[in-house]
Amino acid sequence: MPTDSTMIRVENVTQRFRVIHDRPDSVRALFSKFFRHKTTYHDFDAVKNISLEIPKGQTLGLIGRNGSGKSTLLKIIAGVYQPTSGKVSVKGTLAPLIELGAGFHHELTGRENILLNGLLMGYSKREMLEREERIIEFAEIGDFIDAPVKQYSSGMYMRLAFAVATEIDPQILLIDEILAVGDSQFQQKCFERIENFHCSGKTILLVSHAMGQIRQHCDRAVYLERGSIIADGSADEVVDAYQSTWSAEELESARTHAVRP
Amino acid sequence: MIELVRDTYRYRELIWALALKDLKIRYKRSVLGFMWALLNPALLMLVLTMVFSTIMRFPIPHYAIFLLSVLLPWTFFSQSLSYAVESIVTNGDLIKKVKVAKLVFPVAALLSNMINLLLSLIPLALLILIMRHPFYWTWLYLPVPLLALAIFTLGATFFFAAANVYYRDVAHILQVVLSAWFYFTPIIFPLDMLPAQYQWLFKLNPIIYVINGFRLSVYYGMLPRAQSIIASFVCAFISLFLGYRLFRKYQNSFVFYV
Repeated sequence: MPTDSTMIRVENVTQRFRVIHDRPDSVRALFSKFFRHKTTYHDFDAVKNISLEIPKGQTLGLIGRNGSGKSTLLKIIAGVYQPTSGKVSVKGTLAPLIELGAGFHHELTGRENILLNGLLMGYSKREMLEREERIIEFAEIGDFIDAPVKQYSSGMYMRLAFAVATEIDPQILLIDEILAVGDSQFQQKCFERIENFHCSGKTILLVSHAMGQIRQHCDRAVYLERGSIIADGSADEVVDAYQSTWSAEELESARTHAVRP
Repeated sequence: MIELVRDTYRYRELIWALALKDLKIRYKRSVLGFMWALLNPALLMLVLTMVFSTIMRFPIPHYAIFLLSVLLPWTFFSQSLSYAVESIVTNGDLIKKVKVAKLVFPVAALLSNMINLLLSLIPLALLILIMRHPFYWTWLYLPVPLLALAIFTLGATFFFAAANVYYRDVAHILQVVLSAWFYFTPIIFPLDMLPAQYQWLFKLNPIIYVINGFRLSVYYGMLPRAQSIIASFVCAFISLFLGYRLFRKYQNSFVFYV
């Protein structure tokens, strides 16, 4: 039953994508379609009638093979997609880490990007300026902060993006497979921060192919397959169920071939 | 419509930051940097003045000022559209990953070009002093046509930015439309130079009423008639209403097409 402590509520959500074969993307094609034949397409439900409730303070892991709908579900919760049907309600501020540095502009300096990124996520200029110093400190960028981010190493880039997203102190953190990148020291630091978030009672939704991470950090896991929930329970149970379904090799290949659209 | 005003206000800091980003990137890696915002119109004026005072002589005194008084607002209009038409598509990566109000992109494109237009009025004022053209008090009236122009342009940017998401031809068609529109607007010639039987045709052009306000106040030192002012705002609000309606209707599906 819904309670006051529910931070994210997903009710009967379906996300349908229309996969258009030979979509007319020019006026010429539009005309020829108009006069000759109808466009063919098929509808594809990336997420099928999913309901999910995530209470405050829970760290939930979303697992499943590529194309099972994890990222789509995350984007629906983040508000990037309007679901085809169903309802999503989110309580509190939310930081989506769907791709690190999605809002970064390469020609702008790190400092300018901190502000722009914060504004994009709906924070005010004042809030961002207050946090600027702490962000720079966590990202360990040093003097590079006033250089354009195109001159950053990929590690610096990710550290800055992670620092911006987490330093703004969201109540809900959505993480999509981003921690597979970066060196182990950076991963370590990120997970420490995620642990701190967890301890301070924040809600975290984590998509990962690394079952070790799920077991270690999540209270609960949800296993998605072809857009539907196959299993929902404690992280260890669900990971066990997932791993017994798929052999270790297949898991390894899913992990190394994890490519986001 | 209320939603548009509310969202523009709510995201004002973001819009401002995006507009500044546009300008910064436009002048990045140039030695003179932001000075180009002033230099560009100044050099254009120099060329036009030379051409029209020596090579092509029009029977219009101070033709350069006559021309620039409307060429600058026209440049704002066409530049804003050229920038904004791609604004949703070029920010596609962002739209796919962050929940963000889509209207901030066309509005920011408009704002950065408005800053450019306002800056270009400085060299225009200098030119007026140099050519000893009278400096009329009607300059004070300029905020009125500026507002009408901004509203009109905003509506058009919403329309083209949304249409371009679905059919990328729109950006190319726009360039043709803009150059045809340029000659269909009394910019390089006065409206009364045309044969009387064609003048009604030009009066169907929705942008001439606002353009007229600029030329009257800067070049002639007069104010437009009340009908003309009303017509300029009616056209502006129709443009905004239609453009924003289309944009709003489709904005939630942009993410699937960018």
